[in-house]
Amino acid sequence: MRDAFSRIWTVATKELLDFVRDWRTLVALVLVPLLIFPLFFIALPLFLQGEMAELDDYQLDIEVQIADGDIMPEALTQPFIDYHLNVTVTTLDSQLSNLSESGTDAGRVRSGQLHAILRLQETDTNSSESWNYAVLYDGTSELSSEADARLYLILSGWEKQIINQTLADANLTRNEALDPIHWDGDYADANVATSAQTAGFALSMFIPMIVAIWTASSAIQPSVDLTAGERERGTMEALLCTPTRRVELLYGKWVAVGVVAATSVLFQLMGLLFAIAFLMPPETFGLPTLSAWSVVSLLLSVLLFAIFVVAIELALAVRAHSVKEAGTVLGPIVIAFIVPAMFAQFVNLQGIEWWWFVAPIFNVCLAMREALLNINDLTHIALWLGSSLLYALLAVTWAARQFQREDLVESIS
Amino acid sequence: MSQTLLSIREVSKNFGDVEALKSVTLDLNRGDIVGLVGGNGAGKTTLLRLLCGLYKPSVGDVVFLDEGGVEHPVHNVRSNLGVVPESTGLYARLTAWENIRYHSRLNNISDEAAWNRTIRLARALDMEDDLQRPTRGFSRGMRQKTALLRALSHDPDILLLDEPTGGLDVTSARRVRDLVRKLGEDGRTVIYSTHQLNEAEQVCDRIVIIHNGTLRADGAPKELMNNTNTDSLEDAFVELTQDASRDVDSPEPESKFQQLWSRLTTRKKNPPVGGDENA
Repeated sequence: MRDAFSRIWTVATKELLDFVRDWRTLVALVLVPLLIFPLFFIALPLFLQGEMAELDDYQLDIEVQIADGDIMPEALTQPFIDYHLNVTVTTLDSQLSNLSESGTDAGRVRSGQLHAILRLQETDTNSSESWNYAVLYDGTSELSSEADARLYLILSGWEKQIINQTLADANLTRNEALDPIHWDGDYADANVATSAQTAGFALSMFIPMIVAIWTASSAIQPSVDLTAGERERGTMEALLCTPTRRVELLYGKWVAVGVVAATSVLFQLMGLLFAIAFLMPPETFGLPTLSAWSVVSLLLSVLLFAIFVVAIELALAVRAHSVKEAGTVLGPIVIAFIVPAMFAQFVNLQGIEWWWFVAPIFNVCLAMREALLNINDLTHIALWLGSSLLYALLAVTWAARQFQREDLVESIS
Repeated sequence: MSQTLLSIREVSKNFGDVEALKSVTLDLNRGDIVGLVGGNGAGKTTLLRLLCGLYKPSVGDVVFLDEGGVEHPVHNVRSNLGVVPESTGLYARLTAWENIRYHSRLNNISDEAAWNRTIRLARALDMEDDLQRPTRGFSRGMRQKTALLRALSHDPDILLLDEPTGGLDVTSARRVRDLVRKLGEDGRTVIYSTHQLNEAEQVCDRIVIIHNGTLRADGAPKELMNNTNTDSLEDAFVELTQDASRDVDSPEPESKFQQLWSRLTTRKKNPPVGGDENA
């Protein structure tokens, strides 16, 4: 037994040394996961801000068509300037059945000659100013859509002014007329959940998916390299000639791939927590507070999931005769892990049926969600723990059978 | 009488419908240096893989006999085997010594013992200065020598060498041959698979000729020449292997679906030749 453990350890440490020597693997499996979320939290907002600022600076060409006899409202003049709109005023075609009918104007907007056309027609009412309007724009053009958005803001402001004026003339306030039942105080203050609970809830919606996706995808390259790669390079044959039993070889390689995949997931989660703690505005949400059991539960679920995934990927990869063949098989397999993980995000935990906690992949994802929400349901824990152990055992047994294949020494090359 | 170390008894090996090895019987004795000779697809690699327990015989047994004459399945006594496969099987990102150490650890040999033995043998092969270099940049010859050192690091009784001088320059090949002869003198059994008949004649005191999966001859070089009334080992080999060689040695078993798919996607017609002079 001692010899067996010694050989498993020898295989595992050699594989890890081989990984550490390959800087490309380290970049892909350590640096990228560590930096992806911090970069996402820094770079994406900066990028979006830049893009929005660029769009805001554009001077857009607008035509305002006013019905014959109507006068361009003065209230619109300054907003048009403020929103960087070059305005041309023309007379509205009196033949139109309604203002939304694009008619011959469609071509001018579609060709980009104009970014949008605002049509205005004053209507008769008893007590206040009232207008019909329509905006012609091209929904497939970014600038035309931007013009539509700016016109919407201008018209909304103008409408508010008219409403306020009408209400003031009738000695009414806005709240009395339009919002007789209204919220008192700050809406956010009424949420009794602590920021840690809110964080746990928010993270429970996507941490299980991240763990599932990253465990499955980060184990692919090492699984392929350590099995089909060894076959292709001819190192497997020499290795199989040593006294190492094939099952020991599997365990050694499994430990190495498991360590690489787990490290990768761990670094990604560290990056995520760092981004939440230091890069997100504090008012959004903070770090979750988890009980000791929740932490244990979270780690156990990740560990069992990793055992399961790595064993399956090693078993599939060892059946392949070349790296290319293994990649072809394992690529689509990741989807089989990702899809249930995505669905598991939307399963209602309230009154959840027991069988969700024995369904493969769903069980660990839901276990992670419950752990992040500090829900400690003993039945659920027993179910996901038992079923995960069973699946992990089945996967390892299957992988061990694949490692007994006689053609393990053969390779296409 | 020499002690038998490995016994191959009526061994056949089939891969699907192909009989790669047919009823081979062979005893390998302590101190024998046996040249395993045969053309491409003859069954040499299959026999070597059976000898180190990578393949299980379809029929028959391969057994290792210890000093007391007790028989053991060969896969249970791999620590008595040192193997140099044709591909050498070195890890490019590890140094030569790390490659050797990896295998010696798997053979339960301490690093110190493995190092002492390796450095002594490395001197004989003139590569002690290269032990700490990654094998990525090694020439074919250096790789062969490293694989040989690795196979010897745990001091095995039996050495299985698949084309051990392939790719070596004249001097290095001579060093390897000298080392192999020395190992034989020290009482080790060496199975030396090669295409080179003159090399087999120089190194081995016994030649086993395999052709189309069958054992055609087994004896000292002189004996083979006498039995075939020829003057050289090459002539003896040609005499013993006159029937046409088959094309396949150990084909990978293909699934029925893969066979069907290959048939559907394999072009049957010959490609057009002679350009468009008839156009």
